[in-house]
Amino acid sequence: MRRAAAVLALACLAGAAPALGHEDSTPPLEFEPPAVGTYTLHRIVAAPDGEVLDLDGHPHRLRRVTAERITVLGLIYTTCVDPDGCPLALRVFDALEPVLRATPRLRNAVQLVTLSFDPEHDTPAAMRGYAGRRARPDPGGVPWHFLTTRSVRALSPILDGLGQDIRSTARAGAPGRVRELSHVLKVFLIDRAGFVREIYSSAFLHPRTVLNDIDTLLLAP
Amino acid sequence: MTSRRIWRDILVALSMLVACAVWIDAAGADETCNSPYVTKLIKGQEDYVYVWTLGVDGMGDGSDKLVTVDVNPKSKTYGKLLNAVSVGSRDEAHHMGFTDDRRYLWAGGLAESKIHVFDIATDPAKPKLVKTIGDMADKTGYLGPHTYYALPGRMLVQALSNAKDKGGVTGMAVYNNKGDFIAAYPMPTEGGGDGYGYDLAVNPKKNLLLTSSFTGYTNYMRPLGDVVKDAEAMKRFGNTMVAWDLKAMKPKKIFAVPGAPLEIRWSLKTGDNWAITAAALTSKLWLIKPDSRGEWQAKEVATIGDPAKIPLPVDISITRDGKGLWVNTFMDGTTRYFDLGNPEAPKETYTKVTGKQVNMISQSWDGKRLYITSSLLANWDKAGADNEQFLRAFTWDGKELKPAFEVDFTKEQLGRAHHMKLGARALTSP
Repeated sequence: MRRAAAVLALACLAGAAPALGHEDSTPPLEFEPPAVGTYTLHRIVAAPDGEVLDLDGHPHRLRRVTAERITVLGLIYTTCVDPDGCPLALRVFDALEPVLRATPRLRNAVQLVTLSFDPEHDTPAAMRGYAGRRARPDPGGVPWHFLTTRSVRALSPILDGLGQDIRSTARAGAPGRVRELSHVLKVFLIDRAGFVREIYSSAFLHPRTVLNDIDTLLLAP
Repeated sequence: MTSRRIWRDILVALSMLVACAVWIDAAGADETCNSPYVTKLIKGQEDYVYVWTLGVDGMGDGSDKLVTVDVNPKSKTYGKLLNAVSVGSRDEAHHMGFTDDRRYLWAGGLAESKIHVFDIATDPAKPKLVKTIGDMADKTGYLGPHTYYALPGRMLVQALSNAKDKGGVTGMAVYNNKGDFIAAYPMPTEGGGDGYGYDLAVNPKKNLLLTSSFTGYTNYMRPLGDVVKDAEAMKRFGNTMVAWDLKAMKPKKIFAVPGAPLEIRWSLKTGDNWAITAAALTSKLWLIKPDSRGEWQAKEVATIGDPAKIPLPVDISITRDGKGLWVNTFMDGTTRYFDLGNPEAPKETYTKVTGKQVNMISQSWDGKRLYITSSLLANWDKAGADNEQFLRAFTWDGKELKPAFEVDFTKEQLGRAHHMKLGARALTSP
């Protein structure tokens, strides 16, 4: 499966295929992205710093994590059920991962980060359950960090810096009072220097657009 | 000179100008016309209408101000003025736009090119001025920030003019949500482009940005009566629209759309893939849609009123299902409804005179409530008794516009009522 995905991905990157194929369940992309290197990804804002926790509960500085490689960072909460929200981000990351793994120039330059904005529920243990097999160390794979924070207080400066607005509401129609974190899906492309270079919404978050942007960043950091 | 005489002269002058020209302004208003990246739409009852108001010398403090009006019928202060935040200067207050998280409202002036950022989340009834951005001319060379269009984490600002000759050749600026300048993009001046700008509208699924074109500082800051008598000035109006690759921010195609195409509205109906605009001078509706080969085309599809009478369509508002379009015509103070059941052939099915002069029109998400304001530009508004300044609310049952309430902006010593945006407590309350 991984081999097939890689072949398709490489074809895609070469412009020979309309989209990432395989069992990827991301919605189809309805436009042809501009060619790699023909456009500029400006520095939108400096990515914020803050303390985050890995799956073992160990603290790290977010900026040190993102300084390692070009980072695709998705903000999620594990109980989100909006198909155009967090689950879409996960599906796109799932589609990206085998492509990154199979492409040497990307495998060594890119990482994925999934960061929860629900520290009250999403403990390191909860994040480990959410990550499943994705969290298993793989020497040949692309780093995929699943992170959370100790508290809302620790999370706030990160959300403020990224411009991610979160509002707690009760889920309509749900039995009892089910908490829902109303938010706009945002996935961030962060360069090695720590600048946000693209912010994807559900309307154009797609493996092809992300891969194009990563390659564009590699050409013009 | 009386207002009636001035306007008679204007009509005569305009009717003698055949090929080019137009004035007008309008705006991207209402709940069905926000940037698609503003996802927190008000789909129930709105609580507030924010009115970006031009200051008038001798009226109150004479400064531009953001006015909040209570529009919830269940409120004890329904139809009443709740708040007015003065920015302490007069700068030809014009249009506004929400940031993508709808926590802030950016509102700008066409004279000094200042952009004021209001916090509308902390207390939606009482917006607070938190920042003023004054570097657009220095950073870009552009003047007259007009349209504020949210992109993820950023604001795309369409300007109307430039600092070099204050004509209509201009461009777009991108700021991050903190108000820091990121990049500038000139409007195309080759391949049929006239370099002019006005409105912005994005179809994110197609990665397509549409822009329209108006005129520069030397025209919009000049008394309208003078402009229309100046044949050279009347040539300096936009006659194009541009389709851009949004991701690359590069022009893809330039459309000839004569007569100053202003507001652009994409149909929000799932599966629809077209936008509509109104050309002010020619009084025409234009459809922008792909042809059978997938090539984007602009096509004239309807006439608004009697073009010979220069009704001047200024603002349009599309229903959420893409089936109807409200059009305000400034000169005759008329609000018109077009059936867009077939967007290739819109039909005007309802008209009502809603004021001596009407500019902006905004509708609630369900289309049952409409709000109308009166002011175009300080030097272009009518004079004397025709210079009504108001916010008027109406209800719409599909057959008739019925008055709901009115706020007299002159009596309240506020100024000239221009652009509107809707607000709701529920958007930010925990």
